[in-house]
Amino acid sequence: MAPLDALPDAMLLARARRAYEMGRISAAMLRSVWLVPVLGLSLLCCSDPTWSLASGMGLIAAVTCCLWWGQAWGRGVWPGLIAGLVPMIAPLVMQMGGHCCSMGDRCYLYPGVCILAGVAGGVALALIAPRPREGHGVPFFAASLIAGLAGAVGCLVYGLIGVAGMVLGLLAGAAPILVTRRTRG
Amino acid sequence: MERPPHSILQGDMQRLADGDRAAFRPVFDSLWPLLRSYAARHLPPGEAEDAAQEALVKIFHRASEFDPARSAMAWALGIATWEIRTILRRRRRRREETLPQWNAAPDPSPGPEESAMLHDLESMMRDALGALRPEDAETLRLYALGERAAVTPATFRKRVQRALERLRAVWRINDGSP
Repeated sequence: MAPLDALPDAMLLARARRAYEMGRISAAMLRSVWLVPVLGLSLLCCSDPTWSLASGMGLIAAVTCCLWWGQAWGRGVWPGLIAGLVPMIAPLVMQMGGHCCSMGDRCYLYPGVCILAGVAGGVALALIAPRPREGHGVPFFAASLIAGLAGAVGCLVYGLIGVAGMVLGLLAGAAPILVTRRTRG
Repeated sequence: MERPPHSILQGDMQRLADGDRAAFRPVFDSLWPLLRSYAARHLPPGEAEDAAQEALVKIFHRASEFDPARSAMAWALGIATWEIRTILRRRRRRREETLPQWNAAPDPSPGPEESAMLHDLESMMRDALGALRPEDAETLRLYALGERAAVTPATFRKRVQRALERLRAVWRINDGSP
């Protein structure tokens, strides 16, 4: 049986642990809040907001979870968001410039912007995300996941074909740099 | 060579801020006795325990905000100091609220024991004031009467502050307390 004087310490320990986790969650949520306006913008740009909303919520949830858990997962958040910024913003800017949404008649003419923005994001990802080393791939995986989700928020205005183009662009942009770096050691 | 405790705490706090849960227990074990003794130096036992607990919980709540460039010890004690001040302020407010009830008490005159204590205090105060420079004693006399020497308010405030510091120093020497 635990000694009596150890009990208050055990209760305090549990209380401190709860406070620590709550503090981390609230800090992570506060940092994710700035993504809400971008999500709102993507909803405004698209006439079928369901997928944009789903990917936006997924992005916010992924960022919040990674920041809350911290360590290797947390280290991938900012590089991922920076890399995902171009594929997230570029299609929305195009859309606001008068181009049609995925439901329109000319929408399939514009997934090219997603491919190009994806390539730019991929280059940024390979340059700024922590390098995937043996047994230490989590930060790069987290950064890629967040960059993909962020890009999807923007590229979904062109439908799934826009997202597929963006993913291909990300791969095409990141792969050569990663391979070159790996061969150089 | 063994690392000093503050350096261990600094490293553990940094890991905890990064999200390393394994650093939770070492930080708890380092901070809890420290905060307890720090609070006990400023507050009576019951309140000290409460203040130390609240400070500890706040430190863990804000652990992710910890900046590794800062000293973990100073950061933790800063939060504890704030907590102690809050308790002291609360206590002062409570005392101010209960003061009118004391005034309404039927017999406000002090008892024999209290009179003796007051007498002792008065004589100690007289001795301390006597040991001060005449200008300092005059400044404090004017301050106690709510008056002010023919100087600017800022200068007078500064003089009062200096005179009080000197009075405190003399009081400490006479009383022998730290």
